[in-house]
Amino acid sequence: MERRFSRSIHALGEIFEFADEYSIAHGIRPPVLFAMKFVIEELFTNMVKYSVSDTGSDIGIDLEKDDHRVTVRLIDSGVDAFDVTRADDADVTLSLEDRKVGGLGLHLVKRMVDSIEYEYGGRKSVITFSKKLE
Amino acid sequence: MFDTKSAENGDIQLIGRLDASQTEKANVVLNQIMTSRTLDCKDLEYISSAGLGVLLATQQRLKAAGHGLRLTNLNKHIRDIFMFTGFEKIFTID
Repeated sequence: MERRFSRSIHALGEIFEFADEYSIAHGIRPPVLFAMKFVIEELFTNMVKYSVSDTGSDIGIDLEKDDHRVTVRLIDSGVDAFDVTRADDADVTLSLEDRKVGGLGLHLVKRMVDSIEYEYGGRKSVITFSKKLE
Repeated sequence: MFDTKSAENGDIQLIGRLDASQTEKANVVLNQIMTSRTLDCKDLEYISSAGLGVLLATQQRLKAAGHGLRLTNLNKHIRDIFMFTGFEKIFTID
């Protein structure tokens, strides 16, 4: 099921409602839903902050569940390539004083999904991640 | 939505969802903390990296002045996030 959301962090409320509704309808349990929403937020806000769209188009989010996993795709059109799967890991051993605000989102994404892929073509970025059902 | 409430014992309760659209609201409250304080997270359902950034900036400011935040009643999801980011070592967590 795909829905489109405006390119703004203020769309997060609607996005979470979409994920909640889908999870209720498809019996997705809270631990999986929490991870799903977390990863969607990190990837969506990354697109909003760093991708300038030629077309200013909305960002599509597609949710799909089978017997074993839920698969989520985020589709961003009219943008330059940015492969989130190649982002460097954050150094989580740094002391409080040496830490910088930011940079933890994609680090966490990689630890919370079972698979993540990035495709780019025709100025369109598509990120697909999956999470096994518990 | 995200909200905060001051408890009678001086603790601050964090309530709801601390996502990227709610950080300004959280900053308004956390920027007023000037000494060591407990944040009760019993009703904090969710936090994203944007929310972690708000807590980190507050902790850095307080520690530089010899104070710090203590976090209580974190749910399992949020504890996992703290573990993945090493945040459990830079906050006092009960």
